[in-house]
Amino acid sequence: MTLVWKLLRQHISALQLAGFFLANLFGMLIVLLALQFYRDVRPVFSQEDGVINNDYIIVSKRISALGIGTSTFSEKEIRDIESQPFTESVGAFTASQYKVSCSMGIDGVANFGTQMYFESVPDKFVDTDKSQWHYEEGSDFVPIILPRSYLAIYNFGFAQSRSLPKLSEGVISMIDMTVLLRGDSKEQRMRGKVIGFTSRLNTILVPEGFLQWSNSLFAPTADNEPTRLIVEVKNPTDDRIAKYVKQQGYEIDEDKLQAGKATYFLKVMSGIVMAVGLLISALSFFILMLSIYLLVQKNTIKLQNLLLIGYSPAKVSLPYQILTIVMNALVLLIALGILLWVRSIYMNMLWTMFPNMEETSMWPAYTLGIILFAVVSVLNVLAIRRKVANCL
Amino acid sequence: MDTIRLEHTFPEVFAKRSDLKSEVWQQDVLFERGKLYLVEANSGTGKSSLCSFIYGYRQDYQGIITFDGNNIRNLRTKDWTRLRQRNLSLMWQELRLFPELTALENVQIKNRLTGFKNKKNILKWFEELDISDKLDTKVGLMSFGQQQRVAMIRALVQPFDFLFVDEPVSHLDDVNARKMADIMMEEATRQGAGVIVTSIGKHVELNYDKTLLL
Repeated sequence: MTLVWKLLRQHISALQLAGFFLANLFGMLIVLLALQFYRDVRPVFSQEDGVINNDYIIVSKRISALGIGTSTFSEKEIRDIESQPFTESVGAFTASQYKVSCSMGIDGVANFGTQMYFESVPDKFVDTDKSQWHYEEGSDFVPIILPRSYLAIYNFGFAQSRSLPKLSEGVISMIDMTVLLRGDSKEQRMRGKVIGFTSRLNTILVPEGFLQWSNSLFAPTADNEPTRLIVEVKNPTDDRIAKYVKQQGYEIDEDKLQAGKATYFLKVMSGIVMAVGLLISALSFFILMLSIYLLVQKNTIKLQNLLLIGYSPAKVSLPYQILTIVMNALVLLIALGILLWVRSIYMNMLWTMFPNMEETSMWPAYTLGIILFAVVSVLNVLAIRRKVANCL
Repeated sequence: MDTIRLEHTFPEVFAKRSDLKSEVWQQDVLFERGKLYLVEANSGTGKSSLCSFIYGYRQDYQGIITFDGNNIRNLRTKDWTRLRQRNLSLMWQELRLFPELTALENVQIKNRLTGFKNKKNILKWFEELDISDKLDTKVGLMSFGQQQRVAMIRALVQPFDFLFVDEPVSHLDDVNARKMADIMMEEATRQGAGVIVTSIGKHVELNYDKTLLL
């Protein structure tokens, strides 16, 4: 092998290989960095709610000053939203048609009570542990999701002024609630527990199954047209949404649309940067291929003679194949090294700004790097093999 | 491999020639293992073409060439690689040595592939051919006659059933030509191989089983 290498290393151009090396390194680095940066920064923009996905928007009707007109959505209006090109699916809010009161206490001693109401959306719109988010008929337990703003009102307004203890989300989740459902002729006591909080919905959510059951039991005659709709959209930045909503006189939660837009632009930008990186990688691949082809061309006589004295094309190709694989592997390792270094710098900045940010995994970047390495190497190996075999 | 047969074989460039008078082209020729042949030719009659057809790196011929009855047009790259390592050896007229490597390296690059001879044996041949002082000299710096001797040694460091030598002694004096022929025949006999020597005039005197005029 050493003698073959001694022959074939002639005419290797260090400059061309250095050009390939740098180009491939930049390409690989840009691709990996774009992917990793996107993954690291996305949570900052989108602020995942944990309960309601960001691709959902809440649509309601504008309440006029005089309270004229209906604030509920008819079947026809729901179907119209469903048929819009930006809509993925539509779910209706169901409101409780009976009276609900709730008291909280620790160890069964009630010390805080309030009137309230329930609403529900179809379960598929609630991104929470499905084993907790359901209601079994006959059970006296009901899971509840509260708006974060309610907790803020209590902590910063109510508790502050009355010297009551402030409550964290965790503490609330441990408190047992007694829920009293009262219809026209019946009433029932149930146990409730807060299993999550959301910033997306200003309502008290219970599983849809529970509301269907309780509405039919306590208010069988009540009319139940929804006042709000939850709409899953294909792309929250689609300006047709805003146009449609305005035209119909509906209202949507505007700021969440803004966050969606920011995420969308982050996605687009990262995509563009990644595409540029891939382009550089592809170009570097061609530099390497040209360089190797030139090398094969310059060493054609030697390659021919090696094949003629009985060397197999595989054996003769091997030195060049090893050369490219070693270079590709070095590129991958150095790119990953630089990626880790750059990431440590920007992550420190991000952590200073957003201390609660969770660390994202780097596996997708590693995997992508290895895939790029493998694809480029396999193409190199095959091309060299073909080129060498064609020498004779 | 025991036989090489040429059935009405001739180079495509001769297709338009009507005055082709040859004991090889367009004839039925059989080369057998263990025998010694001399192919005499004038220049331009396709001597090197004959070698390249049989050695499998040119296909621009008409007719059929068979090894043990199998048409060699059906052989694939890996078959040729195996044949060139184990069954066929060719010493080219143009030698095809690597000028960047030393004389010894030129032989070793083949011997490492076949693992056929030990270094002692190779050094002995260098000694006998009177070029042992050139072992570590780059082949590019040697005279053609010296290069011919290196090429001969390289042709012998492999197992073969047939050995083709294309004008092996064109640049050698009679004494060295004799020595080379002896070494060649000694190895060929040891392996029981067939030998085909080509020549355009000067050739070593050997006990040829058959002489063909190309």
